[in-house]
Amino acid sequence: MIFMKCNLSLNIFIYMAFSILFFSSCEKEKISQPNTEAGKIVFKFNQTYNGQPIIYDSLLYVNAAGNKLMIDQIQYFISDVTLHKSGGGLKILNSKEFCHYIDKDIPSTLTWSPADVIATGAYDSISFTFGLSKIENKTGLFVNPPENNMSWPEMLGGGYHYMKMNLKFQDSTNYLSPFNFHLGIGQIYNSKDSIIGFVQNYFNVTLPNSSFVIENGKTKEIQIIMNVESWFKTPHIFDFNQWEMPGMMGIMQNETGMKAACDNGFDVFTIGYIK
Amino acid sequence: MFKKQLEYQQNFKFFKIEFLIILFLFIFCRRDKTNEVQPYHPTSYQIKIPLFFPTKLNIPDDNPMTVEGIELGRYLFYDGRFSGRTDPDSLMSCSTCHLQANAFKCGINNPKFIDGRPYGLSGKVTPHNMMPLINLVFNNEGYLWNGMINNNNTNLGLAVYGVPPKPEYNLKNIESVVWMAIVAPHEANGSIERTVKTIQNIPMYPPMFFKAFGSDTVTIDRISKSIAQFIRTLISCDSKFDKYLNGEVDLADAERRGFELFTTNNGADCFHCHGTDAQPLFTTNLFYNNGKDTVFTDLKDRFSVTKNPQDIGAYRAPTLRNILYTAPYMHDGRFKTLDEVLNFYNQKVVWSPSISPMMQRVKDGGVHLTPSQISDLKAFLSTLSDEKFITNPSFSNPRPSDPYFSHN
Repeated sequence: MIFMKCNLSLNIFIYMAFSILFFSSCEKEKISQPNTEAGKIVFKFNQTYNGQPIIYDSLLYVNAAGNKLMIDQIQYFISDVTLHKSGGGLKILNSKEFCHYIDKDIPSTLTWSPADVIATGAYDSISFTFGLSKIENKTGLFVNPPENNMSWPEMLGGGYHYMKMNLKFQDSTNYLSPFNFHLGIGQIYNSKDSIIGFVQNYFNVTLPNSSFVIENGKTKEIQIIMNVESWFKTPHIFDFNQWEMPGMMGIMQNETGMKAACDNGFDVFTIGYIK
Repeated sequence: MFKKQLEYQQNFKFFKIEFLIILFLFIFCRRDKTNEVQPYHPTSYQIKIPLFFPTKLNIPDDNPMTVEGIELGRYLFYDGRFSGRTDPDSLMSCSTCHLQANAFKCGINNPKFIDGRPYGLSGKVTPHNMMPLINLVFNNEGYLWNGMINNNNTNLGLAVYGVPPKPEYNLKNIESVVWMAIVAPHEANGSIERTVKTIQNIPMYPPMFFKAFGSDTVTIDRISKSIAQFIRTLISCDSKFDKYLNGEVDLADAERRGFELFTTNNGADCFHCHGTDAQPLFTTNLFYNNGKDTVFTDLKDRFSVTKNPQDIGAYRAPTLRNILYTAPYMHDGRFKTLDEVLNFYNQKVVWSPSISPMMQRVKDGGVHLTPSQISDLKAFLSTLSDEKFITNPSFSNPRPSDPYFSHN
């Protein structure tokens, strides 16, 4: 009798366990099944000078102003990457991260796999914000390195550097001089050198030749290249000597210089490949 | 008769064996019972992260922090028998040089170490100026002036100190610096085996090891882990500047002007390497050649780790928290006062091929602040002093009246 009772309980237990397993697995299946056909995107980042991968810390390059230069560091943000669908509509990649930090010294930052699921179909182009927009660029957004090392002092406008490109150039006296090509929020100064306002210098980039097709269940790999020489070329010839003056180094506190650099930024980024 | 005696002797022999087996089982069972009386239930310890501090902590997966581990680490940090010796003149522990009153540096006015440069039991001076033990748990960029100890370092052991290439002798984290301190000639100049044996034989320690690690056996791995756990608790976050960030106090005019100089490119431009209000470790923990020299002879600079020629003469930017307590300054302790440091950055920076691009004013020899601006900058730097950090009882010597713990 006791044996039968035990056996009955065991049967009920097995039945319940199987039921739970069956129903929970069905549930899982239901969640993981996408409603529409979709694929993914992965971005690869690279930096070139005159079409060639950069050899860092070597005095190999000449800019449009004729300055000989070497590049030491490139660190920057892109944000609000937007895919423009053929025939209208767009998809902003922001489901997990709205921005991405790229650092030539940190290999893991040179690849970005957004969490966003992309609907299948043809897309005409890709655009993004260089740096961080006014709404997003707030002090305290990042607490961990490397991103928080991009902090832009609150009294200079706050938030984060859009880009730190550290280089050395041979100046007019043949001195190999450090230059911080740093971009971020600009300041407006009065005649007494007090800050009376700020300028949002972030800008929108539309990548030329960036059409692609997303296929169901597949990942599209897209390489974005920063053509560094373009920062110094069009429309403003950027002569480092011009911005190296007593008591004012680099362009971080010189809105005229930052504005010129940002104007030049429109054609800095291109597509390397889409596959 | 003889046969009976033989039988008796054999029975007695079996009885003896049975008795020994029962005795053995009895002892064995009793031991088990003892363990049941003292269960291993370590209490997990969570680091409280201050406002704006990094949330990404450098705690190895195989060394989770526990209250018991930290307490054991605190004892070992202060116990002079860490050197593996018990003679009064041969005692050395972490606290011999890392004094709480000096933000865990030895201090410029230390009567034992002239000019704040410590030396080991062999009398050999440390190759570099020591670094303070402040907020190390938030550093993921490697340890020591050159970052040689880091999570990407796959080397094991140190042949130069006779330490074999075994997993427990990795060179990845604070744990590694602990075992290195035992064997380095400029520190305890001892042997790991002797330290382990010495600690094992001190009656108070085996139960503490049991509480921390579930075993009363002392090993170098457990010594290193417990001291590293204690060091990870040494968090400084209660300076006047922290209170200012939290909205509790305001800065005085001179302090505010100094902060402005600190965080402006055209001012003193300190912030690119030493942080801002949004990066309150007051260091990036990264490495820079800050323009002290034109000729480089030190074989332990950042270049020795990366082999990148641009890292010649580069060292970690140390935290500026508690800077008033942590003289002497720079990797070689060449500056005895903060005034000397500020004077250097103001007008004595020199160019070399590997000068960091962050030293934008090298052509002018420095940032050329006026005397009153330097005074303001000093006023700001003094707001980074954290008196609670240097007096916190949780970080202090647990047995100040014990001669083994008061050997400084």
